[in-house]
Amino acid sequence: MRRILAIASLTLRAAFRYRVVLVMALLLVAGVIVLPLIIKDDGTARGFTQIILTYTLALTTTLLGFATLWLSCGILAREIEEAQMQMVVVKPIARWQIWIGKWLGIVALNAMLILLAGAAIYTIMQVRARNLTAKEQTILQNEVLVARKVAMEDTPDYEQISRDLIRERLQHEAPPEGLSIPALQTIIREQLKSRDQLVQPNQRRIWTIQVGPPSEVRDKPMTIRVRFDPPVPDLGERFMTFWEFGDLATKTQFETNFVMPSEAFVEFPIPPNLINDKGELHIRFDNRNEKALLFPEDGMQVMYRIGGFGGNFARGLGIVFCWLALLAALGLAGATFLSFPVAAFCTIGVLILSMSTGTLKQIIEENGIVAVDPNTGRVEETKVVNTLAVPVARGLLNTFNLARGFSPIDNLSSGRAITWTDLSQAFFQICILLSGGLAAIGIAIFTRRELATATK
Amino acid sequence: MTDRPSRLRKFAYLGSIAVFLFTVFFSQRHLNHQREVLGLTRNIPLENAPPILAFTTKALGGFRGLIANALWIRATELQENGKYFEMVQLADWITKLEPKLTAVWVHLAWNMAYNISVKFNDPADRWLWVKRGTELLRDEALKYNPREPNIYRELAWFYQHKMGHYLDDAHQLYKVEWAKEMTALLGKGDFNFDRLISPQTPEEIERARKLREQYKLDPAFMKRVDERYGPLEWRLPESHAIYWATYGLEMTKDQKLRQEEFIGLRRVIFQSLQLAFMRGRLVYPDKSGNEFVYGPNLHVIDEADKAYLEMANLEADKRDNILNAHKNYLGMVVYHLYTHNRRQAAQQWFNRLKEMYPGANTIAGKPVENLEDYALSRIAEDVGETDPNRVKTIIMGTLENAFLQFALGDSEADIVAENHVNFARRLWQRYMTEISRYEKNIVRVGLPPFNQLYEETLKGVLSPEYGLDAILSAQLRTRLNLPADYGVSTNEPPAEATAPSATTPAGPATR
Repeated sequence: MRRILAIASLTLRAAFRYRVVLVMALLLVAGVIVLPLIIKDDGTARGFTQIILTYTLALTTTLLGFATLWLSCGILAREIEEAQMQMVVVKPIARWQIWIGKWLGIVALNAMLILLAGAAIYTIMQVRARNLTAKEQTILQNEVLVARKVAMEDTPDYEQISRDLIRERLQHEAPPEGLSIPALQTIIREQLKSRDQLVQPNQRRIWTIQVGPPSEVRDKPMTIRVRFDPPVPDLGERFMTFWEFGDLATKTQFETNFVMPSEAFVEFPIPPNLINDKGELHIRFDNRNEKALLFPEDGMQVMYRIGGFGGNFARGLGIVFCWLALLAALGLAGATFLSFPVAAFCTIGVLILSMSTGTLKQIIEENGIVAVDPNTGRVEETKVVNTLAVPVARGLLNTFNLARGFSPIDNLSSGRAITWTDLSQAFFQICILLSGGLAAIGIAIFTRRELATATK
Repeated sequence: MTDRPSRLRKFAYLGSIAVFLFTVFFSQRHLNHQREVLGLTRNIPLENAPPILAFTTKALGGFRGLIANALWIRATELQENGKYFEMVQLADWITKLEPKLTAVWVHLAWNMAYNISVKFNDPADRWLWVKRGTELLRDEALKYNPREPNIYRELAWFYQHKMGHYLDDAHQLYKVEWAKEMTALLGKGDFNFDRLISPQTPEEIERARKLREQYKLDPAFMKRVDERYGPLEWRLPESHAIYWATYGLEMTKDQKLRQEEFIGLRRVIFQSLQLAFMRGRLVYPDKSGNEFVYGPNLHVIDEADKAYLEMANLEADKRDNILNAHKNYLGMVVYHLYTHNRRQAAQQWFNRLKEMYPGANTIAGKPVENLEDYALSRIAEDVGETDPNRVKTIIMGTLENAFLQFALGDSEADIVAENHVNFARRLWQRYMTEISRYEKNIVRVGLPPFNQLYEETLKGVLSPEYGLDAILSAQLRTRLNLPADYGVSTNEPPAEATAPSATTPAGPATR
């Protein structure tokens, strides 16, 4: 361990010596201070806070992310190219210890910088909040600078259900003429979704949402975040909505009605203590309009406060820190077998690929790349390319999603809670699984590499 | 032997080059001028741009389009997810990357004022977005594109339609907020343009500065617009629609190939004048200024009429459509003047209607020669009308007639007056019942309480500006048991002013 720490310490000292720390610290602090001065907001305190939080955190993540990749590629590749590494490896230290030491050094550097940027952002947010009117402060404290837990109805696995239904049906009868099995599955899946999401005129939709243990949510006011879409998109359309909250078997009920815009999330408060003994909140919506309304899968959310902004912010930064640790591992892994410019280029390429998950999702949803049926939106023929593409895309997507499945910036700016469970999960998936995997690859290559041949 | 022809050829080439350069020297300047005059140049240098914008547009070259696309995609995604807080910043960046593309400015401004604003339930939030959209065009787009008719048209349309019309649930707040801002600048009632053109006192200097710098309004041009089309009520948005449409025509008139685009500007002018005629007078019922009612601005009838005919002459290919609109306008003028007891003027306009458009005096397939019959037929048509401005104008006109009958002080006139009041009340109740079928309509297009309309009309009739004979005024006050100074100050409701309650079967409750 002493050896690893020695390498980490040397890496840190090198970063200080080459003024990387100073430059990055100045850039981060300047960015955090200057951004609020030049950014245009929507005119509300809430909007201003949200945009500052989003932009300063995004700036911090981007700056530190690229700097980490650059530094991790450079710190190993250059030392190998300039033969400094040969001086180290002849000492009584294993190559895996050198690799881990360098990674820890970069991670420690990131920890310092992220703490500095985080402190600057937090201070600015608090100072700005203090200057607001009492009304605006209330909005901020209840909706933005807060950690709210989000509860939603469980979404059924429509894909699996439709597959089971077809399998069951095919045991008793032949498939309908002119329809392939995938096309039939698409139709059944959409019918199932429509059954759950569409509320026809003069119909009622009931949600039963497991909010949390009654003891945890007692006396806590809640916020409903809801969205629906009309059958034909019309951005200006607004509908009268009628809502009831509370279990009909209990006495505590709440009713409200108001005009609501379509195609936009709307938040409104409901009183506390509307959940039943099982911790469920029953919500009833009556569609008394002339048009059917479609509630998307995340169209009904129940939120309640579980903590303050400080802890949430710290946990959010924790997830950003995990990302940076992964980038450090990626850069170091690339630098073990590539020259500095090639390693930097390739790792940035991987980073960009990981951001393009939309294409990967599309391949999986369409069940392939070529010969997509425009009617069903899915591949109906079996081809070698499609057979290969889907598992590759699924594998890549699942891997990338281990890191991408967290949205600390989005959660912080919309006041949603980042729990300790989220942070632990992020640490496990990003720092242990992904970074560990990259470390294993990097160490394996580094250990076997003939360093003398890499010297310029 | 071969040198000589070769040298001669070179000289010939050089001579040709010199001749072509000489010709280009003269023709290029002319061509450039023509391109600008005809509005053919799309890549004219960016003017008035701050250094950062000038640098961005030059340094990024063709890549700025890609960045603008990426920002546009982000803006769309955020909007789909109901996240609007970045929209102003993204719009700022996109327009900075593509400052000469009119469609970009127009789309983003429209998106803010029309699409995003309606996503908020609080009218105050909505007003912020309507303002942002308006400011994007007025303060930014016009700075870089001062000769783009479409931007002027869009800006004027925001004033005319988004703020001036009643289709948005929060339209009343937009009008109130705009009126507050304009009152702070221009004061209430008639204001003196000359004091803003050549301000003398520090307070006037400050107001003139704010008018020019914040609202981009030129007081000298406002005066020209007011003299040409007014007097206009500058606290109402339609006056600003007229201003920006007129200003747009002035700024872009030399681009001959863009005549087609001017029609939009001209339409805004005569549509806004029509709106100004129907409800272009502002009456504040309380001191807070949070609510007000309108009255018709009968001063602009002539100007609106002229504007229609002028537009019809200028837009030869749309002449028939414009004249058709003009015919409808004249019909409206006749019955509004009639309902406001301007019978002589109504007769003159009725004659003009018949003269200009033979057959226009046909109601339900039958020609109507008599003014009274014509006006009453139009009123009967309007009872089923759902435009709150028109219905309010009819109610107030009917009440005005009623008060003039009360002022006569004889029993026969009393009966006529009571009938008028009953008719006005029935109209109000019918309209409110009609719109109350949908709850949200009450806020959006609901009328002020009947008592309020009654009181405002009464104050208007008794105000010195109305010019009612002193004896008739006194008789009216006595008849309605009003104090002697009632109606002297049109902007302040007297404490003891009373109006008939909605449940009173007939006539003023004070009798």
